This record gives sequence, structure tokens and C-alpha cells, in this order.
Amino acid sequence: MSNSANSLAAPKKRKPTNVFKSEDPHKSEKPKRPKRSERRKATENGIKALNPNWGYAFVAPFFVMFLIFGLAPVIYSIWIAFYNWDPLGDEQQFYGLTNFTDLIVDENFWIALRNTFSIWFFSTIPQMIMAIGLASILRNPRLKGATFWRTILLVPNITSVLAIAIVFGQLFGRDFGLVNLALTYLGMPAHIDWIAEPLPSHIAIATMITWRWLGYNALIFLAAMLAIPSYLYESADLDGASKWQQFRYITLPQLRNTITFVLIVGTIGGLQVFAEPLTLGGNMSGGDSRQFSTLTLFLYEQAFQNNRWGYAAAIGIFITIIVIIISAINFAITRRISSEDNDK
Amino acid sequence: MNRKTSLRSAMALLVVASLTLVGIQPAQAAKTQVTIWSYGNVIEPWGEQEYERLHPNIDLKIKKNSMDAHHQSLITAFKANTTPDIAAIEVSYSGFFRSYPKYFTNLSGLVNENDYLDWRWDQGVGKDGKVIGIPTDVGGLQVAYRKDLFKAHGLPTDREAVGKLWPTWQAFINTGKTYVSKLSTAEKTSCKVKKVCYGFIDNAGTMYPAILNQGTKKYYETNGTLIYNTNANVKTAFTTTATAMNSGISTRINQFTSDWNAGMMKGVFATVLAPAWMLDYIKQQAKSTSGKWDVADLPGGGGNLGGSQLSIPTAAKHPQEAKDFIKWYLSPAIQLEIFKRYGLFPSASSLYSNPALTGYKDKFFSNAPIGQIYVTGARQLRPIFEGKNQRAIDNYFGQALAKVAVGKMTASAAWSDAITQIQKNIRD
Repeated sequence: MSNSANSLAAPKKRKPTNVFKSEDPHKSEKPKRPKRSERRKATENGIKALNPNWGYAFVAPFFVMFLIFGLAPVIYSIWIAFYNWDPLGDEQQFYGLTNFTDLIVDENFWIALRNTFSIWFFSTIPQMIMAIGLASILRNPRLKGATFWRTILLVPNITSVLAIAIVFGQLFGRDFGLVNLALTYLGMPAHIDWIAEPLPSHIAIATMITWRWLGYNALIFLAAMLAIPSYLYESADLDGASKWQQFRYITLPQLRNTITFVLIVGTIGGLQVFAEPLTLGGNMSGGDSRQFSTLTLFLYEQAFQNNRWGYAAAIGIFITIIVIIISAINFAITRRISSEDNDK
Repeated sequence: MNRKTSLRSAMALLVVASLTLVGIQPAQAAKTQVTIWSYGNVIEPWGEQEYERLHPNIDLKIKKNSMDAHHQSLITAFKANTTPDIAAIEVSYSGFFRSYPKYFTNLSGLVNENDYLDWRWDQGVGKDGKVIGIPTDVGGLQVAYRKDLFKAHGLPTDREAVGKLWPTWQAFINTGKTYVSKLSTAEKTSCKVKKVCYGFIDNAGTMYPAILNQGTKKYYETNGTLIYNTNANVKTAFTTTATAMNSGISTRINQFTSDWNAGMMKGVFATVLAPAWMLDYIKQQAKSTSGKWDVADLPGGGGNLGGSQLSIPTAAKHPQEAKDFIKWYLSPAIQLEIFKRYGLFPSASSLYSNPALTGYKDKFFSNAPIGQIYVTGARQLRPIFEGKNQRAIDNYFGQALAKVAVGKMTASAAWSDAITQIQKNIRD
């Protein structure tokens, strides 16, 4: 299909192979102006033949924005992390490493770290299992109204976090909450103070996150499942494999990369959990005993309740370090998985 | 191909059209927009509508936020010069903003200082003597109680007699104990087996600020030195509250939650320490309990919780229009109107002898002379100094007390826990 175009842009003498390195396509084209009908094709090819440096111009808008709104604040916050920074004051007191050394011995920081990982665990792991289950159901070709169900799954995801937190805050109410009511009917010791106790509160927050992201992840798994070649299942059927065996030995291994992806995205989101605990607790400390204070919430508390911007900046740097460590672990795992795939 | 292109251009048109629609200002662009950042019920709807009716060329743009978030976005707005024309500031944050008077327009001479309560006025004066805020309301504090429940649990119902039950906070706790001891067996055990915990007061934690505000100093000396760990007033407020928490009179329901609203309706608790501005909230939330409520004196005599002031940042775009509005909205006459409509107790002390205020009654609260009760309370109050990081320190003490409430800590352990937290987190 591109034969005619190629021959037009690059005259016969030249090799049509390396179009990117051609000296100047415009020059060679100038003398003979192609016919109108052919010109269109020529421009299509002309883009290909452009100087590759143009690429930088095309990506520049993003990087300019990133520089202004991304990198500059990062550098600024690294700068103020070395100060006792008063948000509205005129003179800032240089602190050196005090903010960092204070942070390491601050038990509130470690509580926030513990909570963050606990909430991450309760929101990511059960969610993934449920998402894979949901995706398997949706994959079933006999399911009626498949598009409808797939659309419905995304509704929680487009709901405002604040609205979710308010509604779930009521569901998990100690005295008149529906969850406790349901537990009573099930005959369980139902006077769980979902907000005041560490573990229940983590589960309550994890439930909100799960509710919001379950459908989204189920769709990702569904897409991955639909990409699994059907002949694998057909041959498994012929070999007499049960549905469970098909799931265990075909679907799951084929989903490995997707699982890693979902895990990484979930981890990044998990380290940023903020609106849910803030709304649930109604204060910046993540509950009265800091039982669900997360890292980002702790940062916010220090910056905006205690007006210690320098200290908050130091917390931000620590969060960055943690993210880098986790990303490195993720990266290592992903590499191992892909090399295992290659071994086969 | 052709169909695709036409579809694309149609979509592009739609996007452009919607963008233009958003961009176009309606005809009222000629009006001057005065932006107000507020929280809760500082600017009541009637005040807004009435002012716009009287000034057709003014459009008040009110942005409401939750209390803490509002003050936080103010701080960033000051830093970024994106402040509104008028900013509401709550008393517990007044100490903070008084430390930075350079961000505020001087309002001295805008209104007659003598019209307002002295100590409320002072809360709007910057540390350099500049007037940075005019007081809106006083959060006069009294006890709102359920007559029907008092009667059912063997307590007097008459507001005079009820007030005499608790001259001191200890007496208040003892009354609570009497009330709780008369709870039915079902009510007593319902906390364990069912889902409702009955009690005397909604949340004993609310006693802490009430007792604290009856003193003359809180966490700061007037020169700004921190005294939270040495001031006997703080310790008394803390231990008395902890005692109340351990005496089983509190339902431990947090205020302004759905549990609280439901509890008010269902009579789960019989008393609420109610600042004047809360009465309207109770009325709205527990409509079906109309006539069952009454208001009695606060233990310890006179209390205060909350209250606000209006300020004009130096970066305001329409300072003159903002001044005009503040002058009107906080004038004694309008404060009286607002009190009648919404129960915000006026900071204009020139009204305190006005029969329209002192004679005010409310059917919802059994025709209690609410005006008179709150005036008496406000007169008994002594000025109290609000320091820079007052709100943050309040939060740490509040959290420590919450641990006492759920039985996680003893009072003394919680006290030292709070002190450690504050020492670690508050620098000035």
C-alpha cells in the first residue's frame, strides 16, 4: 500500500529504506510538484521523513508543565525541609537535618507507616481475588447483558471519594450503622466500633477503597482474560481438565503480568490514601488514637494543623524514598517474572 | 471514512460549544462580585439575600468549606495572593492570624468599637494593635436538655431547678450518675447486646473546652509563652472531663455525625452542651422532638464555645465593597435579625439590654427565654486569650481525652501523653 507513496517521496535513485536519515526531503521534492491526487499521500509520507528533532517540540508542552508544576515544587519542598518553615512568616530559621532526625524518632510517623501498609494490605489483596473472580464471571459467554454489567462495574470508580467516605462513614456507624445492624442479624457480637479501633477502621477504609476500585480492576483482568487464546482452553477441554483446573493452570499463569500491574498501581494508590481516612475521622490525625493516620494524612496534619511546613516537607521526602524502595522491589519481581517466561 | 470525519467534527463542535457556554458570563457580569470564604453558618442566607436586595449592583459569592479546611486554604491563599475579599476566621484560629497582621486590611474606625463585647473585639486585634477582624457572634454556652427524659429518670424538669442541680461540674457529673442509675435494664444492657449506648450527655469530651473557656488563660500567656503544661486551668478541665468520661454518663457519640443526629431524635442522651449557634442545628436535625427540649444554666457559670470574626485580606480585590458589607452585616441591628432567624448570639453587647433580644423565646425549647439565658451567660464570661497554635493544641488534648473515653488510658497517662505530643509537635 505504501509502495507508490515511497516511490514518490524518494526518487528512484535513492534507496527508500532509511527515510529518517534522508538529508532533506523537502529540498528534493521541490522541483517537481506532484499532482493534487498524489500530494496527499506525499504529505503522509512527509511526516515520516521529518527531522526527528521535531519530536522534542511535540513532547515539550508536557515537560514544560512538568517543570513548572512538578519539578519546581519538588525542589522547593526539598529546600524547605531544611528549615523550620513558618508558612506566613518573613524569616525562616535554618534547621539543618533536625527535621529528618526528629522524624526518624517520631512514633507518629511509624504508626502512620504501619497503618498505610495495613490498609494497603486489606484493600489490595482481597480486592485482587474478588476482581479476578468477577472477571471470570463476566468472561462467561453465556452471561446475558454483558455490556451492561461491564458498564455498571465502573460506576463506583467515577463516584466522588468524599461522597463514598460520607456514605461509608454512616454504614460503619457504631450505634446506627447498617454494617453493625447486619452483623447483629447474623448473630455476631455486633458492637464493633469501626472508627475507634485500629483493625476495624483499617478494614472500613479498605472496604471503601475496594468498593471504588474493584470494578476497574475487574475490567483490567477481564481484558487480559479475553486476550488468552481460546485454543488453550479447547485443548484443556479435550484433555478433560475441569473448570477449576483450567482456571488454575491456564488463566492464572496467563494473568501473571496483569496481576503485577494491578499490584503496582494498587501500591501506588495505597501509599496515597488520604481522603477516606480524613473524612472518616473528621480530624487530621486519623482518629483520636491515630488509629488510621496514613502517611499522606500525617504530612497534611504537620503542614496544615501544626504549621510545620519544613517537617511536612521532610515527611514528603521520606514517602518518596519509600516509594522508590517499593518500586525497586516491584521492578525486581517483574523482571524475574519476565525472565521466567523466557526460560520456558 | 467520511462518516467518521463528520462524526469527529461534530464532536469537536460540541466540545467547542460547551467550552464557550462555560466561558460566557451571564448578563450580571456588570455586578461587582464580592467573594467571601466562610464555613458553617457565619454568613446566614437571609443576610446574603437581604444585602443583595438592598445593593443590586453587588453579587456576594460565598464559598463554604469545613472549619479546619477553610483556615488551611486561607493560609495558602495568603501565600499565593489569591485571597477572597472577605474571610471568616474562627476564634480558635484568631490567635494564629493575629500573629500575621500584615496580611490584613486595617478595619479600625469601620464600626463603633463600643458596640461590641470587649474581649470579643480584642480577639480581632493583631499583635501590633491593628484591627484585623470584626466579631460576628459569641458562642455563648448553656445546657440543652430533654425535659421528657429528665422526668422519666427522676430528675426535675423546671429549668431553674435543673440549673440548681449543677452549680459545679462535679455536681453535673453526679446528676449524670443519678440519671444513668435510673436507666431501664434494657437501656443499660443495650450497649453490650444491641447497638445503642444510652447515657446522660452526648459526649463528655465537650466538657473540656467548656471548662477551659471558663478560665482566663488557656495554653498561652498574653505575651505568647506556652503554658499548657503548667496552667492549672488546663489540668482542671482535663481531669474533670476525664472523671466524667470514667463515670459512665457519656454516650461517646461524636457531635455532628449521623449517630449524633439519630441519637438526638431517639433520646439516646438527655443533655448537650449547646453554644447558641448549635440550637438551630438541633432544631433542624431533631424536628420531631420539638417542645421536649429546654435550656438551663451551664455548670460553673457562663460559658463560651466558638464564635467568628470577619476580616479583609490586603490582597482583596474589592476592599471598599467588602468593608461596606461587614459594616452592614455586623451592625447591631442586623446581628439581632440574625439571632432571631438563626440563633447566632450577637457579639454586639449594645444589644444585651434590648428587649427584642432578652425577651426572645423559642417554642422548640419549651418557650425558654433563650435570649435572657444566653445574655446572662455572656455577661458572666471573662476575656480569654487565644494563642497561636491553639487549635492544634486543642486537638492533641482532645485526642488524649478520647483515649480515656474508650478506656484505653487512665487520666494521668493520657495527660502525659498529650503533653508529650504537644511538646513534640508545637514549637510556638
